[in-house]
Amino acid sequence: MTTELVLILTASPTMEGPSRMWSMFGATLILILSTAMFFVYFQAVCQKILRRQFDREYFRSIVNANRLEFPSLRKLLEEYNAPMDYPRLCMTLKCDYLALTYLLKNAANVNQRYSQEERLLIVYFRWLFFTLGVRRLLKVGEKKAVLRLTSVLQYFANVVGERVNTVRFGNLTAADYLLNV
Amino acid sequence: MDSELISYGFQYACYVIEAGLIVFMTRSPQRSRLICPLFYLTCSLGASLGRTIALYKYGRLSPLYRSTYWITDFPLVISLFVLVCLFFRRACADQEKMWRSVRFLLIFVFILVGGVSGLCFSRNYSSLVAEFVVAFNQNLYFTCLVLTTMLYLLLQHLDSVDDQLGLLVCGVGIQLAGPTATLALINLIGAEQFAQALNSLVMRFCTLGMLMVWVYAIVHVKDTGDDDVSRRRRIPVMAEATAHLNV
Repeated sequence: MTTELVLILTASPTMEGPSRMWSMFGATLILILSTAMFFVYFQAVCQKILRRQFDREYFRSIVNANRLEFPSLRKLLEEYNAPMDYPRLCMTLKCDYLALTYLLKNAANVNQRYSQEERLLIVYFRWLFFTLGVRRLLKVGEKKAVLRLTSVLQYFANVVGERVNTVRFGNLTAADYLLNV
Repeated sequence: MDSELISYGFQYACYVIEAGLIVFMTRSPQRSRLICPLFYLTCSLGASLGRTIALYKYGRLSPLYRSTYWITDFPLVISLFVLVCLFFRRACADQEKMWRSVRFLLIFVFILVGGVSGLCFSRNYSSLVAEFVVAFNQNLYFTCLVLTTMLYLLLQHLDSVDDQLGLLVCGVGIQLAGPTATLALINLIGAEQFAQALNSLVMRFCTLGMLMVWVYAIVHVKDTGDDDVSRRRRIPVMAEATAHLNV
């Protein structure tokens, strides 16, 4: 809990033999479990943010206007269970991510900066993207990770769409205007 | 030096956010629902202020500062336990039978922790602070981590629709799990200088993380706990549609 506690822990008398071994075993177990729990809670927070309900599907207009590919990628995985072309998949996700983070920061955003939850989700996306490579090597839960990545992108697109929807050009919303250009 | 600066930056950011959250919650119309985080944050800010005063008055290496530290840590850990208990109460708001069992378990756990810590004290009656308080704080802290994990699992099991509570629990989990992992790592590697810097940094980073999650939960997430309609378990769309047709 504290620096003082560290001093007490490190200054505790050195143990030898089986008791030292048990102490190390206990510490290792606590280390593994606590680290795992830390990431579980981090992921749970991100998933709770992603569960936010938007009053309509704002992401569609943003996807169409910017020719983003993540919805078709998602559909491909969910409905057809198609095999993944990994380099292309990474490129698609990365391009959509870059486009959406740019829009998040600059499109109809008066402050020109990310909000607190957007920053957290950006970290989450990067973390998932990193684990995607590891999952691919281990061949474990690759599809699940891609679906989670697309859900983050969908959230970003929804936020951008919601913001853009508040800006109006005459009778048209900005999203409708973009589609008509 | 750099890590110390970052650590102080985190620390003062925590103070500011804590004070801001306390003001926000006391003015909020939902303050009766937010009594648990309000109670904990008030204790935390009070302890931090007490420690800061002791640090400037007596200096980091003085035994008086050390005693102040551990004595203020005692109500802080107790308040953490109370916070977890209040979260359990909120999670079991609809389940009176379950709450009775949970309440019994919580009381039992608290007595057990006190008893186990008392064993350390019984070996050396002369120093209450050095033996009992330190052992009790450590044990109760770890117990809170385990209880938070149980609470998180309980929320998943009950399929809770109270998103605010879910986020508050996750925040506490981050605050507890990070430092516990660091302490375990320190115990394994045992490098004192590195350990101090790492622990101080991780602890404050995790506290900041918890506060940020709480800010999001309290300011942005609508509290659905008291809403009877939202308290219903999630009904499958087809079942809901059939019910409407039958009506």
